[in-house]
Amino acid sequence: MFDPAVLAQILWTGLATSSYMVLFTIAFSLVLKVMKLWNFAQAGMMAIAFYAMYAAVNRFAWPTAAAVVFGLAVTLAATLAFEIWGLRTLRARRSSSLLFFIFTLVCSEFAAYVLTLVFGTEPVTLFPEILSPVRVIGQIAVSDWDLLGVGVTLALGIALALYLRFSRDGQFVLAVSDNAELAELYGIDAKRVYLVAFSIATVFVCAGMYLYGSRTAVIPTAPLQLMLFAVIATLLGGMGSVLGGALAAVGLSLLQSYSVLFIPSQWQGLILYVFLFVTILFFPGGVRRGFKAA
Amino acid sequence: MSFKRRDVLKAAAAGALAAGLPLPLRAQGAGNLRFGLAMPLTGSQSAYGKDQVTGAQWAVEDINAKGGVQGRKLEMIVLDTQADPQVGINAVNRLISVEKVPVFITAWSAVVKAVAPIANREKVLELSVGASSPDVATLGDYVYTTFPLADVDVTAVARYAYQKLGKKTAAVLYINNDTGVDAAKVYREAFEKAGGKVTVYEAYDPKATDYSGMLLKLRASNAEMVHIHGLITDIPQVIAQMRQLGLKQRVSTYSAGYNPIIVKQLGAAAEGLIVTSLAPGANDRPQVKAYIERWRSKEGRVPNGLPYTQYLYDAPVMVAQMYDWLLKQKLAVNGENMRKALLGVKRFELPMTGVTEVDATHRVKKPVYLLTVEKGNFVPLATVS
Repeated sequence: MFDPAVLAQILWTGLATSSYMVLFTIAFSLVLKVMKLWNFAQAGMMAIAFYAMYAAVNRFAWPTAAAVVFGLAVTLAATLAFEIWGLRTLRARRSSSLLFFIFTLVCSEFAAYVLTLVFGTEPVTLFPEILSPVRVIGQIAVSDWDLLGVGVTLALGIALALYLRFSRDGQFVLAVSDNAELAELYGIDAKRVYLVAFSIATVFVCAGMYLYGSRTAVIPTAPLQLMLFAVIATLLGGMGSVLGGALAAVGLSLLQSYSVLFIPSQWQGLILYVFLFVTILFFPGGVRRGFKAA
Repeated sequence: MSFKRRDVLKAAAAGALAAGLPLPLRAQGAGNLRFGLAMPLTGSQSAYGKDQVTGAQWAVEDINAKGGVQGRKLEMIVLDTQADPQVGINAVNRLISVEKVPVFITAWSAVVKAVAPIANREKVLELSVGASSPDVATLGDYVYTTFPLADVDVTAVARYAYQKLGKKTAAVLYINNDTGVDAAKVYREAFEKAGGKVTVYEAYDPKATDYSGMLLKLRASNAEMVHIHGLITDIPQVIAQMRQLGLKQRVSTYSAGYNPIIVKQLGAAAEGLIVTSLAPGANDRPQVKAYIERWRSKEGRVPNGLPYTQYLYDAPVMVAQMYDWLLKQKLAVNGENMRKALLGVKRFELPMTGVTEVDATHRVKKPVYLLTVEKGNFVPLATVS
């Protein structure tokens, strides 16, 4: 088992599998960073994104590209409606952060119930076939899905970093995330920035659900479980650090993958909960900050 | 504006139907002979559950169309379990306390086990039709299975791998729940008893989506045969990831794998997959041929998990034969007498699965039909008595 080829295969497959988790984590931590919102409604958005693409592919027989655009459009519409008619109302009322949290959770459950009524509860994959072509590079099996996952995640991650660093709108996003009230004093429209942040998160959510749904069967309530991973990664990476969250997602995925060398496979899922437990108790501000403080 | 009670009830029923909620299916009339059916109508296993309920409904319709049981109609009350033990307990409590049924049918190992204490305590007969965990035989006096347990078909497939396919080493990969744990143990014991060696014995989390670590252990072991004991939601994923890692071993699974969804999702990677069926096929029995035609004409397809639906069709036939025995003996309709009827009839002639004999060990024995995927279709491989 400790053969270099095996270790390299676990590394590659772990990286590929972490792709959608990284995308979900970036979406979650970006919204948290900019809006200070624990957005559990993201699970609802993930479900909407998947089922919109699923309907386009399987019910309307649209080509993949059109299905992705459709999924993006539907999810964006739902996300912006959630911000404009939901969150803005709560902000206007100066609602407590607990109410914001409950509202996002309720929206998520609402989306899952509606999708259950429309699409049923049978597990479905985005495409009828889940197998993707494989090539062996060195001694490592590399599938088209792996390459797509790693490629899309890297491309979107770099694009986001460049956008935040070099574009005017990106600078506004960073300014609002640092101090929304001060940013508004300098003439930055915080409401617009929130819409931008949600739009970016939607792109990451759609990409993640495309990758996940093309390999694994989905039911309307499945995204909530995936969200838990994003929450743990965000906590580990340090709340407010999008890059930290993304790296934590990669680290957690690799840790789960390599854990089979030491523990039986059925215990892999437990690792996440152990990390959640330890992080909340000992590193509430994230591992990096925790060590700095120490 | 005032509402009559009947209008309100009608509106509520219409609302429930619109929302897709299950309602008890009743053939109205006094003196009906009632039984319960608790199956997953929603949730991840509903694709199977709904088709099984359809099979049972057709059986009730057919029995009643022929005059019922001594002129009395059979009445089936259907409730949803979501294949979830807690939901199953709620459903069975309602069947016993509210609907007052003397016998109920249910499936899925976790549900069958969870509701068994209620059946034993209330002395109501529980018929497990489809649960395969070997534990089902030991759940108490009032719990019987009409479906051969995992030790029957899993033992057959393990022996076949060693004796007929000549595989000397095997890997057993199984889902870490009631369905997988017990059956995996049975496979290991049967394969090793036949003379083979199990080199990998790994469970996976029911929520897992990445199986590569476990599969790399398999690659390192060089096992000649792989047996996967999971659910329809994860078996195709495990096989897909196996093939993507370049693992070419022949794969076997059990009756859950006898499903066109697997072939559809895996395409060419499904070739050579061995599955089991505990019910005869269309070529073995003319009634089955007619049953499949009925599915095609009424639903436009073959049912998910065809053999399971055959057993579910047969279950109300068994209940009807038990009621017939009870009425002839002039015994009161209750759970205790229903159990006496089951053991009294003992040998049931059933249209879809043939003769079923219930014995004191709470087990039934049936031939195992092995099938394999060839050119995208399930074809017969062997019949193991």
